[in-house]
Order: sequence, then structure tokens, then C-alpha cells
Amino acid sequence: MATLHLLAQSPYSSVLDSALRLLSAQDAVLFTGDACHALQAGSAPLEKLQQLPVGIELFALEEDMQARNISTPARVTLVDYPAFVALSIRFDKVNSWL
Amino acid sequence: MAKSMLLINRHSPWSGLCARETLDIALAGGAFDLPIGMLFLDDGVFQLAIQQNPAVLQQKDLGANLQALPLFGVDDLYVCGESLTRRGLAADRLALPAQALDTAALAALVDRYDLVITL
Repeated sequence: MATLHLLAQSPYSSVLDSALRLLSAQDAVLFTGDACHALQAGSAPLEKLQQLPVGIELFALEEDMQARNISTPARVTLVDYPAFVALSIRFDKVNSWL
Repeated sequence: MAKSMLLINRHSPWSGLCARETLDIALAGGAFDLPIGMLFLDDGVFQLAIQQNPAVLQQKDLGANLQALPLFGVDDLYVCGESLTRRGLAADRLALPAQALDTAALAALVDRYDLVITL
């Protein structure tokens, strides 16, 4: 069962590492809020994310990326709120990492 | 068919209400015969540490409440082996009999459940 992992906290808390540990091959990760800092070019979290198997899709909430002036790295798809909702329906379950 | 639910505990018993809230969900679900699993991850493993003294801080004993889980039919207890090791805890010295899992087993565990709640 594919899971959409929803991240909202800074990647410099332990949440990102824990979420990545629980990731299955068909899962995806959606970055919102401060979690978007994980996608900052040249950052340690992004380096780690780029080593994930290619089957794992990465999404980011567009307005949170824009607000933080973070450019979109390769393999990351930007979503708006309607697409956010569509994603949460597309996956069997959503794991919100609070 | 009732949906199965995995509760992931990520907080120590001392850091706010998350630990107690998660336990409440588990006990409520167990009372309704829902298939519930609990995973103790990150600082959540501190919930399973033995011989804690919450009374010293005028707090209730979460450990005592955790003992109610089997009575409510919640027997599927798991703990992240890596989280334990990093915190100097041993899987065979915990307040509840939880099965220690490695990273590959963690992902498979989450896969198995219909719903996941992480607190």
C-alpha cells in the first residue's frame, strides 16, 4: 500500500530522517511549510533526498517554496492545494509527520 | 472489515501530551476491536524505559497506563531498534514486550496497515 508522507517541519529536526527510514519503494513525500528547506540547493538534506530510489516521487507545495525563495530541484514536482488534495486521494494512505 | 491502524509514537512521555494522546487512541481503538499496532520510534522509545519516576515531577505514570494495552487487545507492539540503540536502551529491558525492528522491517510494517497516525 503506497503512502504519501506529509512533512511540515524543518529537515533539521529528526522528522525527515525518521520519515525516510519508513519509506517504501512505492511511497511519495510531500514537502510543505518549513520542510521545504530540505529542497534548498546545496543542503545536506537535498543531497540525501537525491539518493532515494527514482521510483519515489517528491512533491512540494508551490506557495511554501515561493515564500522561502527555494528553487525547484530536479525530480521534485510542485503542487498547489487542489493537487495536494488529489495526491492525498491517489495514495492509499497519508502519514502526516507532526 | 475494520481498517487496521498503526500508531507511531515519536515523543518521550515528558514532552507534552503526544504520548498520552496516542495511548488514548490505542485504547479507544482496542475497545472497539479495531486491529491496532503501535510503533515506538525516535524519542517515543523513552515511553518504554523502565523504572521511571513521574511522581517526582507531579506527573501521572504513563508506563502504568501502557500496561493496559494488552487488556484492550492491543498486542502488536513494535519498537525501532536503531532508536533504542542510539539512546542506550535495550530491547530486552522494556516496560512492555515490544518487537524490535530494523529499518527494512519498519517500512514493511507501515505498508501493512490501512491507516497511519504519527504523533
